[in-house]
Amino acid sequence: MLLRVLVRAGVLLASLAVSSVVVFGFLAALPGDPARVALGVNATEESVATLRTEFGLDRPLRTQYVDWVGGMLTGDPGRSYVSKAEIGPQLADRMQVTLWLVAAATVIAVLIALPAGTLMAVRHGKLSGLVLAGLSQLGVAVPAFLAGILLITLFAVRLRWLPSGGWTPPVEDPVMFLRQLTLPALALGLVQGAVLTRYVRSAVIDVLREDYLRTARAKGLTPERALWRHGLRNAMVPVVTVLGLQLATLLIGAVVVERVFVVPGMGKLLLDAVANRDLLLVQAVVMVLVVAVLVVNFVVDLLYTVLDPRLRHG
Amino acid sequence: MVDRPLRGPATVVDHRDVARRRVNPSLVAGTLLVALVVAVALVSFVWTPYAPSRVDPSSRLLDLSAEHLLGTDKFGRDVASQIMVGARTTIFVGVIAVGVAAVFGVPLGVLAAMGPRWLGQLVMRTSDLVLAFPALLLAIMFGAVYGASTLTAMIAIGIATIPSFARITRAATLQVLSREYVLAARVAGRRRLAIALRHVLPNVSSLVIVQVSVSFAIAVLAEAALSFLGLGTPLTTPSWGRMLQESQELLSVAPRLAVVPGIAIAIAVLGFNLLGDGLRDRYDPKLERAS
Amino acid sequence: MESGLIGSTRAAAGALVAASLLGLAACSAGSSTAPPDGTPPPSGEGSEESLVLGLVAEPATLDFTQDGGAAIPQALLVNVYEGLVKLDQDGEIVPALATWQVSDDGLTYTFDLVADAVFTSGEPFTADDAVFSIERVQNDWTVALKSAMDVVASAEAASPTQLVVTLTNPSNNWLYNMTTRVGAMFSQSGVDDLATAPIGTGPYALSEWNRGDSIVLTRNADYWGEAPYFNEVTLRYFDDPTALNSALLTGTIDVITTVQAPEGLAQFEGNDDLQIIEGSTNGEVLLSFNHRSAPFQDLQVRQAVRQAIDHQALVDTCWAGRGELIGSHVPPTDPWYEDLTDVAPYDPDEATRLLEAAGQTDLTLRLRLPSLPYATSCGQVVASQLEDVGITVEVDTLEFPAQWLAQVFQPPNDYDMSIVAHVEPRDIPPLFGDPTYYLGYDNAEVVQMLADADAGTAEEQVTIMQEVARTISEDSAGDWLFLLPNLVVADADITGLPENAIGEALDLTLLARS
Repeated sequence: MLLRVLVRAGVLLASLAVSSVVVFGFLAALPGDPARVALGVNATEESVATLRTEFGLDRPLRTQYVDWVGGMLTGDPGRSYVSKAEIGPQLADRMQVTLWLVAAATVIAVLIALPAGTLMAVRHGKLSGLVLAGLSQLGVAVPAFLAGILLITLFAVRLRWLPSGGWTPPVEDPVMFLRQLTLPALALGLVQGAVLTRYVRSAVIDVLREDYLRTARAKGLTPERALWRHGLRNAMVPVVTVLGLQLATLLIGAVVVERVFVVPGMGKLLLDAVANRDLLLVQAVVMVLVVAVLVVNFVVDLLYTVLDPRLRHG
Repeated sequence: MVDRPLRGPATVVDHRDVARRRVNPSLVAGTLLVALVVAVALVSFVWTPYAPSRVDPSSRLLDLSAEHLLGTDKFGRDVASQIMVGARTTIFVGVIAVGVAAVFGVPLGVLAAMGPRWLGQLVMRTSDLVLAFPALLLAIMFGAVYGASTLTAMIAIGIATIPSFARITRAATLQVLSREYVLAARVAGRRRLAIALRHVLPNVSSLVIVQVSVSFAIAVLAEAALSFLGLGTPLTTPSWGRMLQESQELLSVAPRLAVVPGIAIAIAVLGFNLLGDGLRDRYDPKLERAS
Repeated sequence: MESGLIGSTRAAAGALVAASLLGLAACSAGSSTAPPDGTPPPSGEGSEESLVLGLVAEPATLDFTQDGGAAIPQALLVNVYEGLVKLDQDGEIVPALATWQVSDDGLTYTFDLVADAVFTSGEPFTADDAVFSIERVQNDWTVALKSAMDVVASAEAASPTQLVVTLTNPSNNWLYNMTTRVGAMFSQSGVDDLATAPIGTGPYALSEWNRGDSIVLTRNADYWGEAPYFNEVTLRYFDDPTALNSALLTGTIDVITTVQAPEGLAQFEGNDDLQIIEGSTNGEVLLSFNHRSAPFQDLQVRQAVRQAIDHQALVDTCWAGRGELIGSHVPPTDPWYEDLTDVAPYDPDEATRLLEAAGQTDLTLRLRLPSLPYATSCGQVVASQLEDVGITVEVDTLEFPAQWLAQVFQPPNDYDMSIVAHVEPRDIPPLFGDPTYYLGYDNAEVVQMLADADAGTAEEQVTIMQEVARTISEDSAGDWLFLLPNLVVADADITGLPENAIGEALDLTLLARS
């Protein structure tokens, strides 16, 4: 098993390296001179040229790439072309915001999916099961930003219960923080919940058929306790896997939801940076997102191996 | 709760279940919804109630009526006409994106399964890598470099979907390869290409079709999100995602402007999802568990 | 047994999750960049209240000497940075850091400076700082607006509180321009980090910049003048105009400074807790013609395009009917304003006739729009109306600012028509008096008239500028779709909100809560 882990780790490192080349190369092809855009509408030619040299944009691409990677690895992605501010702290700030959003959405999704999926599995074939199945299908069909807009219309505009967006750090005003977090987390979480529900349902259905459950019943446990003690734990395996794999979708859903609710997270940072041709910032954000997805996939892979003993010796 | 006899491993199929599955509701509902969307898109080429882009200041923000079945927007444009032409965009983007994904993904998957081991590993690892760049992220990057348009959206979504096709094709190919008649063909010395064409492709095609349907739904969602962000179809082409974005300003005055395109998107996605589930149930009962 | 092992693994996983959550809670998510020295503790007269304003278009940097965007002076001018003079609510030039006298020949300006003004760094404001600031515009600024200082021959400190400025020729515009960003007074020791740490003499100081979210200004305890009412003002930036509207309803902000989604105003009307102000701005929404592009070199074509557009219908559909119609590049708040809307009235038949006379019955034009709400909204109406007179319009949207700047604004100026609001005050000279501008409008007569207006007396300036406005309108140098309205929605008890947005600055000192 150690060999397996090492091989996977090697693959992860290779993937990271290749992604960095892809991200850098791709964005090096961006049209629109970053120096000119940074200086704005009314800049003179000499100032543009000076800024290009200052940014190191006149150096060969390979040197720029090596410098950039070195900077990312040591935790210093450099300074933004446009705002001259350090990128590192900005990234850290925004990442926390997006993480809160994604975490809250995941919690909501799990809270919805576990009971709903189990219920659907248990009522498989009955009317209530079908109704729930239909609802979950609908949930999957609605994009997160549509859910967001509808939630705003209902809760912010009509009922005025919750704010339609914005962000307050939790340490500053916990109540406002929670109020502002609710709708965007719901928008993301409801959709994720619908997706997750279907996996929970099929995982529970599988578990219901398994032999060890029969054994447990033979040992005298009631159906409920058998399900709870033995079944659910093993049902978690595919759920955890799916959660991890859904991270990419969740992060991207967050990009659009952040736009709808004006939450200052990674998504907004990315879209703003692209509009401002803040090349270094775009590179850094994309790289962080890609790294996050790759690392989480790696961790989920490991967890899967750990959680499912049958695979441990594979 | 668990009151029926527990069955054995799920690969053993009960004939009565098969019969039940033939008339499965997902397939019916999905087909109907997809047919509806496609029909609307096709009809829009021949006829729409009004010219969708025509600005008519005297008819702004009208409610549902006999003249304007779904009302008008702030420019006086007929919403129903826009939905119809928007269906065109949706289908078009879906077809191209999924087409690109299938054309590249399926051969890659077959290659990964039938070729040398290192190639299989390479294809799978690269797939994983591409999966780290979700469709929207790719589309944002493409749009930034080449200018946002329908084309860049389609290509970006297509590229992001290739891994799904590659994986499913590879898995299915491996299964087919292990079947007896294929083993027999290989022992008999048939060339790999012949085996691929004669035995593999027809047998994986059903799974590929399922994937087409599922990926179509994802493509529709991605296109809507891109148009919503302003990175998709250009201004003069009606698009459901952009109708949603334009409706935001008027949520307090005319929420139907958000609800109508929202329902359209939901119908299309629901349709393709149901269709995919229905097809999956029909072609491969073993996969029922994932539906 | 397996359950035991699974159990401990799950416990470990659980501990990991708990630890990271604690770690997250410990940091303050969404925290800000703290400023360097120079932030005074809040105190003084005025109230202890705070105010939150909602705006669009967040500044990317705080340095308006390098970045031409309008959002920076909007936030910082008059509030953090002060000039020698400023504009009052009627558009008149009044003293700020100095009073002034002009010599009879109009070449020498003598400024008597305020004695006790202090920068937030602690340094006093002296005439040397004024000289430094003026020379810096000429030597270190990169924005094109710096050309306003070209007419200055020399600036000298006659004493620590007296500044003498000599011009190369008399200029009506110079003192007016000193109320804009070029007149901001910087400290000689305070220009090291203009992008993130502005140091000025003004009634407010920057205390926080939460990038992507807000700028927080706190009252300057050492301010030389009258303390403003609000102790803390937060400028919150929204790039979604609808979110801006919603934020007011839920109390996240107290004022919407510029409504960019005017359809949403309906939800504010009839609400006694809110006030709606509708005035004018300097923002002429210009449908620009690229005079380097062949079709537009023909006056008949330009006129045809103008007369094909029903401007009232356009404003009604794309900007909810809010916005005044103007016939030239002059807002009603300028002294030389005339209503020139009848120079090229809406007449689609006449437009068709002109196109035929010009031999352009099969014309295709490219309308390249920046990704700004009014542009994408009104562009669709323009396209539709031009199609009605037989012109084929190819519309595309260019990301603003990067792509629009690169392709339309800078050479090769690859466009036929575009739509953008020009918000700088009195900006006819850079737009229509400079053939190298993106418009490419080359009219020697206009250039001469502009020079005459600047060098003449105040009355001459008014008459000549009126003629300039009429000339560029009759010459159809562009089409003025409408004047962006100053749409402000705020809590009903806030006073001092300006009806018209005249200068570059959003003057926070006028605001109070009754």
